[in-house]
Amino acid sequence: MDSLTRLNDIHQNHILLTKATVSFDDRFTLSEIDWTITPEQHWVITGPNGAGKSALAAALAGIGDIQSGSIQGIPNNVEIVSFEAQAELIAQELKKDDADIMDVISLGTPVSEMIFDHCQDTELAQTLVEKFGLSTLVDRAFRKLSTGETRKVMLIRALANKPELLILDEPFDGLDVDTLAMLQAHLASLIDTVPMVMVLNRFDEMPDFITHVAYLDKDRPEKKRGDKQSGDKGRLTLTVDRQDNAAFNELYQLLHLKTTDLSVPEADPTNKLPALDPSQPLVKLTQATIQYGDTVIVDKLDWTIERGQHWQLSGPNGSGKTCVLSLITGDHPQCYTNDIFVFGFQRGNGESIWQIKQFIGYVSTNLQWEYRVSTSCKNVIISGFYDSIGMYTKSTDSQKKIADQWLKLLGMQDRADQPFNKLSYGDQRLLLIARAMVKHPPLLILDEPCLGLDDINRQLVLALIEKICQGSETTVLYVNHHAEDQISGIEHYLALKKNN
Amino acid sequence: MANYFNTLPLREQLAQLAQCRFMHTAEFADGVEALKGKKMVVIGCGAQGLNQGLNLRDSGLDVSYALRPEAIEQKRQSWKNASENGFVVGTYEELIPTADVVLNLTPDKQHTSVVNTVMPLMKEGACLSYSHGFNIVEEGMKVRDDLTVIMVAPKCPGSEVRAEYVRGFGVPTLIAVHEDNDPKGEGLALAKAYAVGTGGHKAGVLMSSFIAEVKSDLMGEQTILCGMLQTGSLLCFDKMVEEGIDPGYASRLIQYGWETVTEALKYGGVTNMLDRLSNPAKIKAFDLSEELKEIMRPLYNKHQDDIMSGHFSQTMMEDWANDDANLLKWRAETAETNFEKTPAGDVEITEQEFFDNGILMVAMVKAGVELAFETMTAAGIIAESAYYESLHETPLIANTIARKKLYEMNATISDTAEYGCYLYNHACVPLLADFMKGIKSDVIGKGLSLDDNGVDNARLIEVNTALRSHPVEAVGSVLRGYMADMKKIV
Ligand SMILES: NC(=O)c1ccc[n+]([C@@H]2O[C@H](COP(=O)([O-])OP(=O)(O)OC[C@H]3O[C@@H](n4cnc5c(N)ncnc54)[C@H](OP(=O)(O)O)[C@@H]3O)[C@@H](O)[C@H]2O)c1
Ligand SMILES: [Mg+2]
Repeated sequence: MDSLTRLNDIHQNHILLTKATVSFDDRFTLSEIDWTITPEQHWVITGPNGAGKSALAAALAGIGDIQSGSIQGIPNNVEIVSFEAQAELIAQELKKDDADIMDVISLGTPVSEMIFDHCQDTELAQTLVEKFGLSTLVDRAFRKLSTGETRKVMLIRALANKPELLILDEPFDGLDVDTLAMLQAHLASLIDTVPMVMVLNRFDEMPDFITHVAYLDKDRPEKKRGDKQSGDKGRLTLTVDRQDNAAFNELYQLLHLKTTDLSVPEADPTNKLPALDPSQPLVKLTQATIQYGDTVIVDKLDWTIERGQHWQLSGPNGSGKTCVLSLITGDHPQCYTNDIFVFGFQRGNGESIWQIKQFIGYVSTNLQWEYRVSTSCKNVIISGFYDSIGMYTKSTDSQKKIADQWLKLLGMQDRADQPFNKLSYGDQRLLLIARAMVKHPPLLILDEPCLGLDDINRQLVLALIEKICQGSETTVLYVNHHAEDQISGIEHYLALKKNN
Repeated sequence: MANYFNTLPLREQLAQLAQCRFMHTAEFADGVEALKGKKMVVIGCGAQGLNQGLNLRDSGLDVSYALRPEAIEQKRQSWKNASENGFVVGTYEELIPTADVVLNLTPDKQHTSVVNTVMPLMKEGACLSYSHGFNIVEEGMKVRDDLTVIMVAPKCPGSEVRAEYVRGFGVPTLIAVHEDNDPKGEGLALAKAYAVGTGGHKAGVLMSSFIAEVKSDLMGEQTILCGMLQTGSLLCFDKMVEEGIDPGYASRLIQYGWETVTEALKYGGVTNMLDRLSNPAKIKAFDLSEELKEIMRPLYNKHQDDIMSGHFSQTMMEDWANDDANLLKWRAETAETNFEKTPAGDVEITEQEFFDNGILMVAMVKAGVELAFETMTAAGIIAESAYYESLHETPLIANTIARKKLYEMNATISDTAEYGCYLYNHACVPLLADFMKGIKSDVIGKGLSLDDNGVDNARLIEVNTALRSHPVEAVGSVLRGYMADMKKIV
């Protein structure tokens, strides 16, 4: 069935990448790309830096070594404009100089030759030369041009060559406003003649005619001992049809999170958490047992979490993951019948749960259910300073400032005053993670933070968590049974079994 | 034992009734310090006992439970509540002698026998605390002179007491010290620390007296809170069916209608509740409520008079002594009413439709709230108390009806409230018989059928002014203001 439809696709001039793994000089590998481009589509490839956007564009132009899988249906006449192609062209020109054995000073290839020898439609080339403002430069040597000018030459060559597939890697980079508008208009006039694939770092530069977006991300290599460092990998993680507004907005947000230079906002300098004794573990459970009547949920568990040890806690449903967490957070009534040491407190000696909770940031699906309050997005973040659901105290200026920074990081600054309960499920989750992190707690507990989220929101959440892990001294306790949702940096694992 | 209130001179009665002060946050700066390291032993592990105990323990206090022997032997629910939550549970003999504070959270009906049993076991100078002052005020319980007697009364069902604490907040709470029993002058400090331990200080604490608490609590619960909602449910349902409205629809409109219209009350008082109606409907509701107030005022006065004179508690205690014959009979009767027996139909009613088609219900809530407030303040109860015991608690009770109709309401409220509710209902249903004859489905079930929404300007201004200038609105907006500073939850 599948191979049949695929066969059909080929007949219909579709470009078809099937589990294509393409390597580029051992430095970079695109892994297992599945992608179909039909003739009437126009794509933007986007993603964080280092994810392989340009590599994927280049692969369509036949560059790179296909290690496995296949790339089919690439037309004969493909034009690519990219920094790499530009660099290569310039290098070729310089080589011509070197190769010149005659003792004459070479003038190099003139621009006119570069353009008109290459293209099929000289009339169009002539028009474009004028439009790009290169008329006065046609007699100059190509290698004497500025980078911006050689880029224009490349664009003219590509456009006037009547390609059957036009690949433009960051075509708008460095163009002045007028030229940019001109180029955009020209591209718009081509939409019925040639499928286009563009690499764009900035979403807001995306032309209106783009119909689809491909999102690439860095592949997190599963570290196996003895593995040779095999360079970075990129993976096509999702494709979005522009008609799908919701998905499109989420992608925008994801890209924002992945590409923004903003880092995790600082903790509140005006209200610091009490200092913890660095020689003590954050958490120590000794023979922890949770039991309802005769049913034992958790059986004599010993567990110590040292500062800076990131943990992943896993186990099937009913194995007591959330119960164990609630022993740590102080939400389980059997806290008081167990030997629990948390943040300097031996539980049951007159400490209040708020003294414990101040050291913990916590996110779970349950919290999201319970967070049914009609408060603003900004207040939801600020409530993290108080460990409360909703806000019952006036917030300080410093807290408000930090909340604004978080909203900015999430790309949600325009939603600061919107009611939390009107947000999408995924956006709510992002805000709750920001809420958990806002005070830079010594321990951040993420109880199945991706549960109930679709693919893109899952990636959004993971992107945010990764950002958090990089930019703080918080110890992360991650609970999940989705093996694919891994967070880099976790090296300790506790697997709970189901007691029967 | 004699009714304590009645032993006081009028001057003292009035002074006690007038006690009620909204306490400042700064007054709770000491937190739970006054109770730190002290042994708190709770008697009874029901709605209040369990939930208050969980909060107090989570606030760092030492809490255990003394249960009656039967409860322990038979592993009753109260025993399960306490032991499954990891509390130490013991007999009176085991735990009471060690207690610095004994929290009496048994049903009010049992207080005399419970207190008489535990008092001899209590150590010298300990503290006895209540969450309702009935035993002291109405039954005149005499507590040993060396013991401190306080009250910490959350103005919410036990489940809310816990839920609000867990989200980092609390419920409004009333505290008092029994002046006859404050030998060491530490009653207030203990009551404040206790209120902090339950989270009440975050939602607002009223400093009151045993007397003001009891007389206002009884009045509120038997009239507007439970009595009016029960009476209104039965009358409105029967009327709708009589008018040919689908019984399933009628049942749903009432079961969820109280909750919806009083939600508006909670946010913005009677004014806001009526503002949710169209102008013609608002004027209609206003007129109906004026009529209702005139008919029901003598009944409200009688309830307040009987509460003040002790007649109410006396008849109720006679029924207690008679194995609750009246209460049980009435309870059975409620279960047999048409409203109770008709399940809510599978129809969708939008939020606004509850207002538009429930004009009479809105009128009943307005009439009940205002009458209860007016009657209480006329009897010397201060406006803040009267507000909490009327308007503030109405949405909370309405929520219980939404859950499982009148059965749930009567199961959740105290026996005292249930008894008062039936007294009210029995008198009020016949009292409104004539009034109900004039009621048609335009004000209950279908909504006004008007060609246009035009109203007379002068009349609308009159109605709006009357609504906004009622004294319950003035005190309400101040108290809600305090609350809103702290609490912004749905
Ligand atoms: N419910 C409310 O909304 C509310 C609000 C504020 C204040 N209050 C006050 O809180 C107090 C407790 O009310 P509640 O609603 O929590 O009562 P409840 O849910 O009925 O619980 C009462 C507890 O007392 C135990 N008990 C009953 N009879 C007893 C006896 N003779 N001796 C010893 N223990 C006995 C019961 O356990 P066993 O039967 O298993 O022994 C049960 O656990 C009352 O003073 C009430 O006015 C209630
Ligand atoms: Mg009450």
